[in-house]
Amino acid sequence: MEELLRSLALFKPETALVAGLLLVVIADSIGAAWRNAAMRLLTLASLAVALGLAFNLQASGAKASIFSGMLVVDPLGAAFKVILVAAGLLTVLVFTFRNSRELHGLGQGELMALVLALVLSCLLLAASSDLVILYLALEMVSITSYVMVAYLKGDRMSNEASLKYVLFGAASTGSMLYGLSFLYGMTGTTSLPAIQAFLAGGVPEANRFGIYAITLLVLAGFGFKIAAVPFHFWCPDVYQGAATPVTALLSVLPKAAGLAIALRFFYGTFSAPGMSPWDLEGSINWTALLMVISVLTMTLGNVAALTQTNMKRLLAYSSIAHAGYLLMGVVALSENGARGLLVYLAAYLFMNLGAFLVVTLVHLHDGSFDLRDYAGLHRRAPLLTVAMAFFLLSLVGIPPFVGFLGKLYVFAAVIEKGMGVYATIAAVNAAIAAYYYFRVLKVMTIDSGNEDKPVLRLAAADRAWLVAFALANLLPIFFWGQVEAWARGALVLYAGR
Amino acid sequence: MISLQHYLVVSAALFSLGILGLLTRRNAVHVLMSIELILNAANVNLVAFSRFSAGNLGGQVFAVFVIVVAASEVAVALAIVLTLYRLRRTPNLDEADILKG
Repeated sequence: MEELLRSLALFKPETALVAGLLLVVIADSIGAAWRNAAMRLLTLASLAVALGLAFNLQASGAKASIFSGMLVVDPLGAAFKVILVAAGLLTVLVFTFRNSRELHGLGQGELMALVLALVLSCLLLAASSDLVILYLALEMVSITSYVMVAYLKGDRMSNEASLKYVLFGAASTGSMLYGLSFLYGMTGTTSLPAIQAFLAGGVPEANRFGIYAITLLVLAGFGFKIAAVPFHFWCPDVYQGAATPVTALLSVLPKAAGLAIALRFFYGTFSAPGMSPWDLEGSINWTALLMVISVLTMTLGNVAALTQTNMKRLLAYSSIAHAGYLLMGVVALSENGARGLLVYLAAYLFMNLGAFLVVTLVHLHDGSFDLRDYAGLHRRAPLLTVAMAFFLLSLVGIPPFVGFLGKLYVFAAVIEKGMGVYATIAAVNAAIAAYYYFRVLKVMTIDSGNEDKPVLRLAAADRAWLVAFALANLLPIFFWGQVEAWARGALVLYAGR
Repeated sequence: MISLQHYLVVSAALFSLGILGLLTRRNAVHVLMSIELILNAANVNLVAFSRFSAGNLGGQVFAVFVIVVAASEVAVALAIVLTLYRLRRTPNLDEADILKG
């Protein structure tokens, strides 16, 4: 009982989300005309409360293992919670059933409940410290995202996207589970701290190959969530087929949670004191393997994005490329790497949600995701074009914008580890990426066309959000000190029992 | 006497069959059955390790959770396949090909 009460005190953000989830489901079943507004309000309220509680949790610096070692609370996990809940809150605030043409006329309660469930499951995944809860949380993230992608029920693209998602997802989490079963067999425990203790005690010669195989299988599950090559095939199709607000949510939340658990699993568990991480006394160099995956991910994402004409597919490949940069923070396997990962994710949240907001607004007025229909947009919607320029420059990583800050941190972490070639490849990739981001900008400002189409009349709320996101992409560099302090305060990974 | 190795061989066979079915089958329901094989391969492993080597019940509890999750995953997947059938009158995955590029 005492353990339970102690655990619940450190479980407040999740509790707020569970309460919100239940209330939304109840409100949806009432059937009154005001229920849509009520459900949106409930969702926002529970997300806002959860965000406040997550900030509190991070500020308190609590380190504990809760619910009989199932979950772990530590400042790094709390910082990930802040990012995850903020992503959920911003998505619900910015994307509404009004400004997304695809969602017009659809039931709202289910989507709100799904958003809350997705955020909740991502929080659990980022905090899990036992194989059982790790698998459960990963599947909860997966299943809620499958349903969200399939939300446009009569739409063939949405259906096909969800089908591909569910099949890829089930296959990769199944492979991961097979790997986890061997990890249990080898170590005799499902608890990550106990597994770490086992590995730190030295792995017998006969078991080394097994450890390598297990790591590869587990990588399939994490790689699927992060959309890393070669587990990325679902990503462009799902991003294109899902409703844009869902795409925006999926581009941030599962990726962030997947990176959090990858960090916890590989940096926290597979690198014990006195044991060089990755290289478990064996001959296979794990840092090199992860580096190869990261390089392939960013290169494939960037090269494939060059020829895209559909904005959602372009942003999908761009998000694959960003997964490659984000993995740099994991590859570094250092405190600076973890800090880089956090700052990059926070930056990615603002630039990516902003870009998806622009895509949604253009679709609301023109009904198109095609890049060609963006021609001449600067005349019809100057504010939108300027905001999009901010987001794109931030995605490229040009200095005054927040994307630069994220890249700076991960590049520094990698160079500090003496992986200069890796950083160079990543820099070349950033240059390739500049081409397609600038191409979008060129189409919007220089190309002529659509002169006869009417001016885009944006709602006041949408204009306010465009400005807010543009500022969020520009201002953090002036508050670099605070960003640094926030990220530095988060650098405690608690691996205790 | 049946030893741990026997169970591991069975589970490896199940896993391989599952992967094979996943790669070769075109009918969505067959693919889902293959995924079940993969999950059950892991279950056999978990229970066998729990009985023979780990000396605790962790693996068996894990297996129970896996069964529950597998059921809910298939429920969602079948709903999606059913929608596919309603929209296109086919359970064939090859014909779901409008998203590409």
